[in-house]
Amino acid sequence: MIEGVRQTGVNEWEVPVGYVPGMRVPGKFFLSESLGSSLESGAIEQLANVATLPGIIRHSLAMPDIHWGYGFPIGGVAAFSLDEGVISPGGVGFDINCGVRLLTTPLAQKDISGRRDLIEELFRAVPTGVGGKSTLRISPPDLERMMNKGASWAVDAGYGVKRDLIRCEDGGYMKQADCHAVSAKAKQRGVPQGGTLGSGNHFLEMQVVSEIFDPEAARAFGLQLGQICCMIHCGSRGLGHQVCTDHLKLLESATKKYHITIPDRQLACAPITSMEGKDYFGAMAASANYAWANRQLITHTVRQVLAKMFRIDYDSMPLVYDVAHNVAKIEEHNVDGKRMNVCVHRKGATRAFGPDSDELPPDLKKIGQPVIIPGSMGTSSFVLRGTKIAMEKTFGSTCHGAGRIMSRTQAKKSLSGKEITANLLKAGIIVRAHSENAIADEAPEVYKSSDEVVNVVHEAGISRLVARLSPLGVIKG
Amino acid sequence: MSFEEISHTADVKIRAHAPTLEALFTDAFLALMQVVYGNDRKEGTIKEIQLKADNIETLICDFLSEVLFIAEVEGLVFSRTEITIKDLHLTAILYGESFDPVRHSSGTEVKGISYSGLVIRKNANGYMLDILFDV
Repeated sequence: MIEGVRQTGVNEWEVPVGYVPGMRVPGKFFLSESLGSSLESGAIEQLANVATLPGIIRHSLAMPDIHWGYGFPIGGVAAFSLDEGVISPGGVGFDINCGVRLLTTPLAQKDISGRRDLIEELFRAVPTGVGGKSTLRISPPDLERMMNKGASWAVDAGYGVKRDLIRCEDGGYMKQADCHAVSAKAKQRGVPQGGTLGSGNHFLEMQVVSEIFDPEAARAFGLQLGQICCMIHCGSRGLGHQVCTDHLKLLESATKKYHITIPDRQLACAPITSMEGKDYFGAMAASANYAWANRQLITHTVRQVLAKMFRIDYDSMPLVYDVAHNVAKIEEHNVDGKRMNVCVHRKGATRAFGPDSDELPPDLKKIGQPVIIPGSMGTSSFVLRGTKIAMEKTFGSTCHGAGRIMSRTQAKKSLSGKEITANLLKAGIIVRAHSENAIADEAPEVYKSSDEVVNVVHEAGISRLVARLSPLGVIKG
Repeated sequence: MSFEEISHTADVKIRAHAPTLEALFTDAFLALMQVVYGNDRKEGTIKEIQLKADNIETLICDFLSEVLFIAEVEGLVFSRTEITIKDLHLTAILYGESFDPVRHSSGTEVKGISYSGLVIRKNANGYMLDILFDV
């Protein structure tokens, strides 16, 4: 493990105050010894940098998929007091509400195994990759509604069913969205990209439920062994990227205006209560809503493809849940024995609310929030459930994925897209992408083992394993 | 052209060396276009960018962010630029062509230009740059 950090429990580590100058609270991260071998000192420095921000509560946190990012580390979580705290785009990222959702189907593995025609049809129907444009006609007024009402707009416009909304974090939209704080440039980028997947690590994957760890929770989530599901991973596209770029610049001036000292320019921030802070929060919420609408639009396309190809009912493909990975939220948490509203930043981390949370739909109150953890290409993904321990230790947060360990430059040198595709096909997994580069960039070998990452959060108790999903076919940007 | 991709776990880190600031900005611009659109890029269309900033780091981030914006909303892919920088005022003439899904889909989208790890330094041979593209 990296020098200067100390173990405080099973898979729990502390970065003491003083690791970097100006820390107001200690850092804390969850990691196994074996995953510790790939931990970068840069990521721990970023975790410590977050601890210097005003109004941070209790700890600067990181999940076991921690790796070196910009501003916050990837896997970073921090809560800030609404009175004294700050909000920072560096704690959310460029891809606001990059997130993931899981859709179930009435299909079994035998129905789709080896069906290249299905993967080709999904690849044709869902625009992917650089320059991917929407086939939907989204007007500027539609865009405003997307930003205000998120997935709720999409369902009202006919791109889904009402039940989808109770299976989305926040019901599929943040009420604090402020379209006036979103620049004309961001809106211009948003219009043609609604319903597109994007590139990089974004994907759409057909999976089979291959193992059930927690039968009661699996039943409540609508998951059965052998069932075919579809996982969709994407975010707010160019609109969210532009909002981050625009507000980073505005908040940089605000950082100086409010005399806040930051160790990294990417941590530019403003008091949550300031005009600049409120504007960023409103624009970020609007972008988050765009992302929820975007995933809802893609869900609609997937349902149409599956309904037509397998002659199944559009309504027979319920959503398990939709979670945001990159977002800042006002949430109520226990702080020093008192319930209080705080601003929780999650940068590559998932909300994992435990049983009895007011945010959960009535039928999930006893179980806890479904947590969807995508694996890397060719490896297992997982469904977990939120816990009370997460509410106590991590402001109701857990990991978001496997976490990279190999750079893109290394990946391209050591692995060819063609070989990876052939190897995955031998394992029964069909991969479709625009380029071999995109496949080499995201090969299974460049990520931590998703099994190991979810085992850490399971053992730490900040979420509990419910089911394993194995990939059968994937489309990538 | 003198830039290289440096190993970085999550994102794309570019290092460039150039005799002048203009050449350094040009290298960063070419690296960005290569990451997003690959190597097969031609000329035909011309665009112009004018920007000013308080410091050189902000100027390069603003310039590259503007290039990303124009490329995406106008469906253009750039292959060359002519840059002048005077007193933190930048003028860039961009030469490019329309986006062609067949030739320009081998790269990956850049979501933003990061200030984390951004270094512009003057040395005996001119300037060096480290910059991170979020992908």
